Amino acid sequence: MTVNRKTSFDGIFRDNTVLSSLMVISPVIMCGDTLKNAEALVYAFTAITLLSVLISSFVPKKLPYAAKIIIYAVISSLVYIPVRLAAVEFYPNSIERIGIYYPLLAVNSLIVVQTETKFFRMKKSGMLASLVSYILGFDAVMLITGIVREFLAFGTINNRITDTELIISGFSQPFGGFIFLGLFCGLYRKLRSVTVNENAKEKR
Amino acid sequence: MHLINDLIALIAANLILTQALGISTIFIAAQSKKNLVLTACTITIFTMTGSAAAYFIDRTVPQEYNESLTLLFYTLSIGIIYVVLLSVLYFISREKFDRLRKYIHLSAYNCAVMGTLFTINSKASADSSLMSLPSYLAEGLYAGLGFILAAFILTAAYRRLNSSKVPASFRGFPSMLVYLGIISMAVYALK
Repeated sequence: MTVNRKTSFDGIFRDNTVLSSLMVISPVIMCGDTLKNAEALVYAFTAITLLSVLISSFVPKKLPYAAKIIIYAVISSLVYIPVRLAAVEFYPNSIERIGIYYPLLAVNSLIVVQTETKFFRMKKSGMLASLVSYILGFDAVMLITGIVREFLAFGTINNRITDTELIISGFSQPFGGFIFLGLFCGLYRKLRSVTVNENAKEKR
Repeated sequence: MHLINDLIALIAANLILTQALGISTIFIAAQSKKNLVLTACTITIFTMTGSAAAYFIDRTVPQEYNESLTLLFYTLSIGIIYVVLLSVLYFISREKFDRLRKYIHLSAYNCAVMGTLFTINSKASADSSLMSLPSYLAEGLYAGLGFILAAFILTAAYRRLNSSKVPASFRGFPSMLVYLGIISMAVYALK
């Protein structure tokens, strides 16, 4: 039972979508510089990925691999239309800033790669739990990145001015995104190895 | 001098270093020279043929539906190119099909390919003089060449960044991201 739970929720920490599998990293690097952008991306990623993978799970498994990938991509492109219309209402400014990275979320690796290699090899309930964990894993990284980069680059959190004197404007640029994500990824690996070692000691 | 200027322009407009598109693919490609060449060639084929398709889509789709329908048509066009490439390879040689199809699967719905189409679309929307087939094809080719260039830059440091001298937590992807960040910073200064 414990083993199953660990496997189903791997996407949040042990096999994080962004930090471990390096999937969907372009929007994190390019647009994760403020919390507002991060919220808009979290909303779109969650809605598109969850709905697309759930609908795609009904596509016949006997079809050739390429045909299935094309169908999954078309389904997510169709799901993207209402998601974008709603986003224009809720996040009008962020949509402008995010630009081409918004539609690119619809052809993310979780939909066009992980569906076939991971999700659709599981039972429906396990697949849903695993999918939610991978989505939450992305959401957590996106929000943390948005908060920290906004704080470091602009000295604000969710547009509220803080009294910090340490402002490094480079963190709002793409190179700042690369460097921040690289450091975050290293820190995550360190934490993961410490956790794994502690679990191993407890088992002994 | 012209060659240097062209090289600087190519680096400055690089989709990977300036827009972070196709990062995970480039990490896979940089693992070996064979992977690098084949992935880069396949990506270039997709960006060029996809750009040609994008030109006709951009001319056809009305401006008011541009934001919502463009993705669907781009996805369909890349799907058609995907099937055509696999079919052509299959009929040329079964042996080559078995050996090379993974590169086509890897490149089809890649961020580098789809991102190129959207980047060209937004450039053409901002500047109508770019709304021509040669211009779209040239942008598609530049994107593919940019991918090759960035992959070479990463390959040059790949072994060192994966060596045992780098702390275990930062070995591989984390150090490669920081390395790309530093290169990206230099490119930012060039612009």
